Amino acid sequence: MTAVNIDTAASTGKAKSSVYRRAHAADLSAVGEPFQWVLGGALAMGCVLIAGLLLLVFWNGLVTFWPKPIEVVRLTDGAMVAGEPFRTESFRVTADQLAKVPADKRAAIATDDGFADRTLYRTGNYDIYNDDFRWVPDYEVASVERPADMVYVERLEWGPLIGRIKSAIVNGTAVPADRLTPAGLAAAHDAARARWAQIQHIERDLIGDVNHTIEKARLRVRSVELSSGADSPAYRAAQQRFSDENVKLQERFQALTKQAQALRAEDAKDTVTFAEIGGKEKAVNLSAVVRFFQPNELSIFGKIGVYLGRWWEFLSTEPREANTEGGILPAIFGTVAMTLLLVIFVAPFGVITALYLREYAKQGRLVAVVRISVNNLAGVPSIVYGVFGLGFFAYIVGGSIDQVFFPERLPSPTFGTGGLFWAALTLALLTVPVVIVATEEALAAVPRSMREGSLACGASKWQTIRRIVLPRAMPGIMTGIILAMARGAGEVAPLMLVGVVKLAPELPIDGYFPYIHLERSFMHLGFHIYDVGFQSRNSEAGKPMVFVTTLLLILLIVVMNAAAIYIRNRLRRQFAGSQF
Amino acid sequence: MINRTIVLTAAAVATFGFAASAQAQGVDPKLAKYTPVSGISGNLKSIGSDTLNNLMTLWAEGFNKMYPNVKIEIEGKGSSTAPPALVAGTAQFGPMSRPMKGAEIDAFEKKYGYKPAVIRSAVDALAVFVHKDNPIKCLSLQQVDAIFSKTRKGGNDKDIGNWSQLGVEGEWANKPISLYGRNSASGTYGYFKEVALFNGDYKDAVKEQPGSSTVVQGIASDKFAIGYSGIGYKTADVKAVPLSAKAGGKCVEATAEMAYAGEFPLARFLYIYTNINPNQPVEPVRAEFIKFIYSQEGQAATVKDGYFPVTSAIAEDDLKAMKIK
Repeated sequence: MTAVNIDTAASTGKAKSSVYRRAHAADLSAVGEPFQWVLGGALAMGCVLIAGLLLLVFWNGLVTFWPKPIEVVRLTDGAMVAGEPFRTESFRVTADQLAKVPADKRAAIATDDGFADRTLYRTGNYDIYNDDFRWVPDYEVASVERPADMVYVERLEWGPLIGRIKSAIVNGTAVPADRLTPAGLAAAHDAARARWAQIQHIERDLIGDVNHTIEKARLRVRSVELSSGADSPAYRAAQQRFSDENVKLQERFQALTKQAQALRAEDAKDTVTFAEIGGKEKAVNLSAVVRFFQPNELSIFGKIGVYLGRWWEFLSTEPREANTEGGILPAIFGTVAMTLLLVIFVAPFGVITALYLREYAKQGRLVAVVRISVNNLAGVPSIVYGVFGLGFFAYIVGGSIDQVFFPERLPSPTFGTGGLFWAALTLALLTVPVVIVATEEALAAVPRSMREGSLACGASKWQTIRRIVLPRAMPGIMTGIILAMARGAGEVAPLMLVGVVKLAPELPIDGYFPYIHLERSFMHLGFHIYDVGFQSRNSEAGKPMVFVTTLLLILLIVVMNAAAIYIRNRLRRQFAGSQF
Repeated sequence: MINRTIVLTAAAVATFGFAASAQAQGVDPKLAKYTPVSGISGNLKSIGSDTLNNLMTLWAEGFNKMYPNVKIEIEGKGSSTAPPALVAGTAQFGPMSRPMKGAEIDAFEKKYGYKPAVIRSAVDALAVFVHKDNPIKCLSLQQVDAIFSKTRKGGNDKDIGNWSQLGVEGEWANKPISLYGRNSASGTYGYFKEVALFNGDYKDAVKEQPGSSTVVQGIASDKFAIGYSGIGYKTADVKAVPLSAKAGGKCVEATAEMAYAGEFPLARFLYIYTNINPNQPVEPVRAEFIKFIYSQEGQAATVKDGYFPVTSAIAEDDLKAMKIK
């Protein structure tokens, strides 16, 4: 405003003194202090918002796995509810609800202006009641207890079970009544879990191996059939070889299956029967119990043990029950693998482009247009990149690769559908403008005197770039790569189109040749958050998992950035000593 | 409409002699138990409905327990994404929460020369949800139409825009109804439009949500809301309103028995489409997966996900049609 005023005053030419006065009087805008306050305030506001968001995520993420007590509630009509108190809210009692309230409690509601409190209990036992949460209004409660013998059971299937241990059978014989506690059954439970791990090993690793070999042999036959025709001698020979091999493999398969079956039969002998609060009983295989404990009786160390155990399970196992339980190891793995792959693509590509633009290209209209285009690329909505990645990379490029290199697997696509490789390429495309702009800035910041010094010593242009310019620009380039990495790790929308899936049971790296399977779909933490938060059957149970996963994604990005920053600082130190 | 009648009659016929337990939904005991066979491995990919997303994942998990080396990938962004994926061959299974449209079948037939095979994998009741405190007792489909649609093809003469018009008083008196629904890629959107809206158009005020669970979460946090979603997504924060097919008709709860009996007006099958050449045997991995869906274990997963299992009669019909033994 002031500038405009001065301008108009000056242009009208009248009252030169007024301009003079304005410049010297203690005008607020001239002092600049209020402006400083605005800047400071904006910064403070930004900090508060970010800190608030982080605090929300950290708090909710950190408390999720803490074991909560189990309350047994006797209702006024005699029914019993047992569960973890989940949250409480105040609500206005509607006329219908009020009609059912006993007369003595109505007065209390009336004094609260018609409001009452209610608690949401996580009751578990979904397999028995088709319901795992329940609201209990305070006026329906006759008494609340926390009995020590209530057990919280985390199972492989059907979610948590809440009840008392009724009886247990270990190795075909009933366990005496005095040992019917989680602690008393601990040894048997450990043995059952170890056996379960052994069954897993046989079924997944050993039988998996056999299946893998059979599939490979089948594909070999198919490829011979494709190359030399279905009635060629070569095909018949291949077929013969396949069936010979198959017989042996089938034998091994049968042997392994028998072994697994024997273990399973033994496994079925160890069961625990729980009685839930309503009197129904449920027998569970001891090996299908992930963890069970008496939360009302747990000491602080016991709670810490459960808490850490749950974290470890979350970080180190695969998801179960349509991603609502178990761990997220494949998602962590997928996120890290994709981000690293993204850096491998984006770093050389971005740096080379920027080098040419800044060092070699003649600065003219064409280069200006290219530069503007690159900058504008950063503003294209990310989903557009996803569509491009799917249409061009997966369908066109990937489809052609399948036709040429993997005809025996068709119609099942290999590269012709979304996968880790295409996802990383798409995100590389998305983030390359960041690297180009950062690299250009870093190159421009290298003092002209250094280049001239190098050239004057007789070095060629490439030698100058290679030995003088690039090393000095390296910290700046690293900054660009760090930014690109952070953006790529947090991006979800385009990934949904080019390779991220809800369930990818296999990691992109495993023990089978060629060990790194870039064509495989993968899981991603960002997508996992979306999936658990918005797609799972029970959104109530999903909510805490959303916070934990968000916490983990933030931590993962922090760790990756910290690593990159550490490398950058080392580079800086390395060149700090060699100034002219 | 014709389609739906057939569907429900089939369901009603198929449930003959089927006893569902009063509490937890039971699986038809006549369904076969799944017995693993040897040498099954390969890749399976499913692209389609997000209503079926969790169910497909549960089946995949169950199937993987027996065949660890089968790689099953599941993508669920809406029923409309299934037909293109099947035509392009990028997926072997296309789960859909509505039957394929004529144009979609034509596109498939044009490429392959035969129609896609269909698996009726589970029964779903599409429920109309309101906030848990809402005292509403019953809605007729005509009222549902007048609430959600601007065309009112159901025949209600007046638009319904606030709760008083539905006779809900107290806190709800004269409060506008807040509408929640699915986005147009969803089969739930299409089915609700066809059956509850009598093929009319949605009001512009419907807040379109990206997932079935998001609809329920929206209703949970909005006291004056109404929305539709699969019964499986019900939480303790919402209430499923009983529905009647005609104004003044019998109000029917969204339960398994009512869905089987064909009484609940918004019951539907959840389909999985797949590309089966009638002149060639199905490759083993796909055949086994289909058999697994129709087994005791497979149908228990539908209960786990909040849907209703299909009966052995339906299973036999579909398996026979696909020539899978």
